[in-house]
Amino acid sequence: MSFVLRMAARELRASWRRLLFFFLCVAVGVSAIVALRSLIQSVALTMTAESRALTAADILIETGQPWSEEATVLIDEMLAAEPELRRMSSVETATMARPNDQSRTVTRVVQLRGVEADFPYYGVFELGDGLEYDHSLLAGGGALVRPELLTQLGLSVGDELLIGEGTFEIRGVIYREPGRQLGAFSFGPRVMVDLADLEATGLLAFGSRVERQLLLQVPDDRIDSLVTAMREPLRDSYARIRSYRRTEDRIARNMSRAENYLSLIGFVVVVLGGIGVWSVTRVFVQQRVRSVAILKCLGATSGQVLAIYVVQVLALGLGGALLGVAIAALGLAAIPASLAEEAASVTGIGEISYGLTTSAVGQGLGVGVVVSLLFALGPLLEMRAIKPLALLRWGMVTAGGWDRAQAAVAVVLTLGLVALASWQAASLDAGLWVCGGFAAIAVVLHLVGQGLVRVIQPLGDGGRFAFRHAVLNLIRPGNQTRVILLAVGLGSFFIIGIHAVQANLLGAFALEVREDTPDMFLIDVQRDQTDGVETLLERELGVAPRLLPVLRARVTGVQGSRTTLDSARDVRQLGVGREYTVTYRPELAENERIVDGEFWEAGTTEVAEVSVEESIQERLDLVMGDMLRFDVLGREIEARVTSVRTVDWDDTQSGGFMFLFRPGPLDDAPHSFIAFLQGPPDTEGRARLQRDLVAGFPNVSVIDGLEVIATIRRILDHVTLAITIVGGIALLSGVLILIGSVAMTKFQRLYETAIFKTLGATSRTIVLMLILEYGTLGALAGVVGSLGALALTWGLTRYLLEIAWNPALLVNLAGLVLTTLVVGIVGVAASLDVLRKKPLGTLRAE
Amino acid sequence: MIELRNVSKTVVSGSAPLTIVQPIDLTVGAGQYLSLVGPSGSGKSTLLGLIAGLDVPTTGSIVIDGTDITTLDEDALAKLRGRKIGFVFQFFHLVPSLTALENVLVPLEIAGVDNPKDRAGALLTEVGLDDRTHHYPAQLSGGEQQRVAIARALANDPPILLADEPTGNLDSANGRHIIELLQRVNDTRQTTVVLVTHDAELAASADIRLRMHDGAAERIDRVPAEGAE
Repeated sequence: MSFVLRMAARELRASWRRLLFFFLCVAVGVSAIVALRSLIQSVALTMTAESRALTAADILIETGQPWSEEATVLIDEMLAAEPELRRMSSVETATMARPNDQSRTVTRVVQLRGVEADFPYYGVFELGDGLEYDHSLLAGGGALVRPELLTQLGLSVGDELLIGEGTFEIRGVIYREPGRQLGAFSFGPRVMVDLADLEATGLLAFGSRVERQLLLQVPDDRIDSLVTAMREPLRDSYARIRSYRRTEDRIARNMSRAENYLSLIGFVVVVLGGIGVWSVTRVFVQQRVRSVAILKCLGATSGQVLAIYVVQVLALGLGGALLGVAIAALGLAAIPASLAEEAASVTGIGEISYGLTTSAVGQGLGVGVVVSLLFALGPLLEMRAIKPLALLRWGMVTAGGWDRAQAAVAVVLTLGLVALASWQAASLDAGLWVCGGFAAIAVVLHLVGQGLVRVIQPLGDGGRFAFRHAVLNLIRPGNQTRVILLAVGLGSFFIIGIHAVQANLLGAFALEVREDTPDMFLIDVQRDQTDGVETLLERELGVAPRLLPVLRARVTGVQGSRTTLDSARDVRQLGVGREYTVTYRPELAENERIVDGEFWEAGTTEVAEVSVEESIQERLDLVMGDMLRFDVLGREIEARVTSVRTVDWDDTQSGGFMFLFRPGPLDDAPHSFIAFLQGPPDTEGRARLQRDLVAGFPNVSVIDGLEVIATIRRILDHVTLAITIVGGIALLSGVLILIGSVAMTKFQRLYETAIFKTLGATSRTIVLMLILEYGTLGALAGVVGSLGALALTWGLTRYLLEIAWNPALLVNLAGLVLTTLVVGIVGVAASLDVLRKKPLGTLRAE
Repeated sequence: MIELRNVSKTVVSGSAPLTIVQPIDLTVGAGQYLSLVGPSGSGKSTLLGLIAGLDVPTTGSIVIDGTDITTLDEDALAKLRGRKIGFVFQFFHLVPSLTALENVLVPLEIAGVDNPKDRAGALLTEVGLDDRTHHYPAQLSGGEQQRVAIARALANDPPILLADEPTGNLDSANGRHIIELLQRVNDTRQTTVVLVTHDAELAASADIRLRMHDGAAERIDRVPAEGAE
């Protein structure tokens, strides 16, 4: 054994430079895994530690409707038995805010929350100017706001804010707040006020979208039993209950899922590195044939020889993995403080300290070493076939071909990769999918590469000297062409693909935002405001948009010929239990078509009639004449199904409704109106319209579609950037493999170049040869990536996103050119010292 | 002791079988010096490869020190080589990544010898290279490399030393030096030496001289094992 270790150490001393790329290939992948895992684990740790603060209470009961009599009684009864209980209410709604200054035209949608004096039970506020939170900051018309609102409205602390019919004095800036719903969609920046003040704004009118919460504090041992006992009864009155522990669980679950899936990306990079390891090892073995033959001649067994190189691979794998950990540590340290602060403020938690976590480091090291070994073992096994007899003849033989051991290694490699991927994703399915997907892409890229090589093969027969030899270099036996095509092609596929998908998505958005598409939405217009709103809109826009009446309703029962559901619970089980926004009108909208039954004539009825959307008909298996029971804000209404409609959801002009009622029975139910309209094209005009609407009708919310689209575009940009970084890492692996391949084949190239020079080739010819060779290789890799990207976008747009396919030729072309340039420049640069060497020295050494 | 019984080697080249070594019977006693001469392609290197167990004969058996090596597998052959056979090649075949000393250490370490460094150092001194121990092969002249190779071949004090054209890549002065060294090894250590060369002059001092031609070996003369005097 000591012989093996000593030999491995001596060999490493000489060969580590040649195997440097082995090292780097492993390091890049491992750093990706360790950094991603550590990052998310750090965030998750901080967040679970603060889950009580994120809920601000032990138990949270919430509902989207006003507390019903029934629910209030139920809650009071159940809580009466609790000896140590504290409770308080909170209300949250999206609404409009504007400066208390008639000369200013700016308004903004804000997420308004009203809290009581005890708030919060857990967690702390972090306010600007070193202010300490105290309820007196809110009481009596005070407000605390997010800093971005001040910027948007051009206000500062001390100024006044108009919300609904109330006036609030801005008394401070919120950097961090307890009780923020994580991941909840928010229309705008937070404004915090006193609950009593919020109630006085008149915003809590019937029909408004208001989230009402009850926050409870109970002894620890009562939390779970209380939640369990109250969950079912509350559900029937449309209230949800959960403990902070559920938040904790959800965070932990989401985070570990995110961690595992992100690590898979790292794993893919490691596998790319593994391909690099395989290619480097293959060439390395070819170069060690003589040494291996000598060792065998001196009495070393095949096992000993193999062991010497396996030890080297393990050492290099471990070294590369350690380097990867170091890179990850540097990467984490390099996260700008501003980004960490933003993340902390977005998630509403305290400072996140990023650092390497032990488990991430352990996994990174494990994956690095195992992948190195798996990928190196195949080429290393070829050493067993090296015959020492070769030493008696000058010609060196490497017996190639597959034997049983190599087939076994291939099986072990496959199983090992699936196991690793499954381990990283913590799911066998995900592991199989990733490995299957990766293998499929690799096989396709490999075949495409092979096809392309075959296509250029005839070019090696004719043409100028430099070009002919460039092509011959690409297709000669033992070439690295396919490996480089695979690695670089995969990287360029990632990057071109993701940019092409982005171009497709943005194109689809642009298509939807047509000239005549509504880009402003009015919600919460009350019945007595409809005339005023219409007059105002007609005055400012020249046309009067139609106001659509909307009500919120739930299906609570079905009496049909094929389906009978007695309770809301039964309906829930068929997936139709949520609250729907419904409307009534006498005619069909432009984007609707009747597919079954008959649509009603103009005029009203006494017995309610409803037209359902196709998917509802399918889910509930309805036939014409079936009766549906609805709960419309506490009122029970029975309606007969008289028609089934399809709705073209892409056409947003008229909106879309799952349930459409015949005018009549709902006219008197409490409801509000909404409107889709096309606002003025200029920013100033839009701001003025919003200001006038909100000034006249403070409870009406005006949502600017252009801002929503801008937000979506911004998110898309972030996602694209993130994926581009990952693609960049993949491309970096590809480039490393490229450099490695160039470096590994340099010895052969040196010799050839020396012969060419001796025979009269100038440096120019040789540079031209290199440029043509790597330029062609880069172009092929670019074509491979581009073809892959075209296939990806075609599949995604057609089957997943269901939008029109845009080949994004410009993106593809740019990707192709860039890949060609990168490969060309890197390849030529890595070969330059071949040019500098004097031919005599090289030939003598051989 | 080396014993060959009816040993031949035939390879199939294209469709026609080609006999490289015609059937031969040969006995080389312990401490004898055998030379194989003949032109390129006459089969002498192949015969040497067969004796070393680097290749498998088509017919016949080869007995080295009482062991029929034609029945051994690769690993057993490797072990036998490590203990019983030393090699010297035309192209030296030192491991380029190891120093002179380390090259000599390899067979000692494979065999698991105690204090291998002392022994390797002594061997290098014996071949006159005590000042070159930490040089890499590329830093040594051809003659020096070949002396390192001889030191390495003698590392485990093998009873048999096989030399394949050891002077083929050296000038005549260095070549003479190497032949003298082999002669001395044969004299002082009583090592059986098999020397392959195409230079009849270098082969002159051998106990047994075989001339090979088209795979057939012909004995040139015979000198008594105990010496002529």
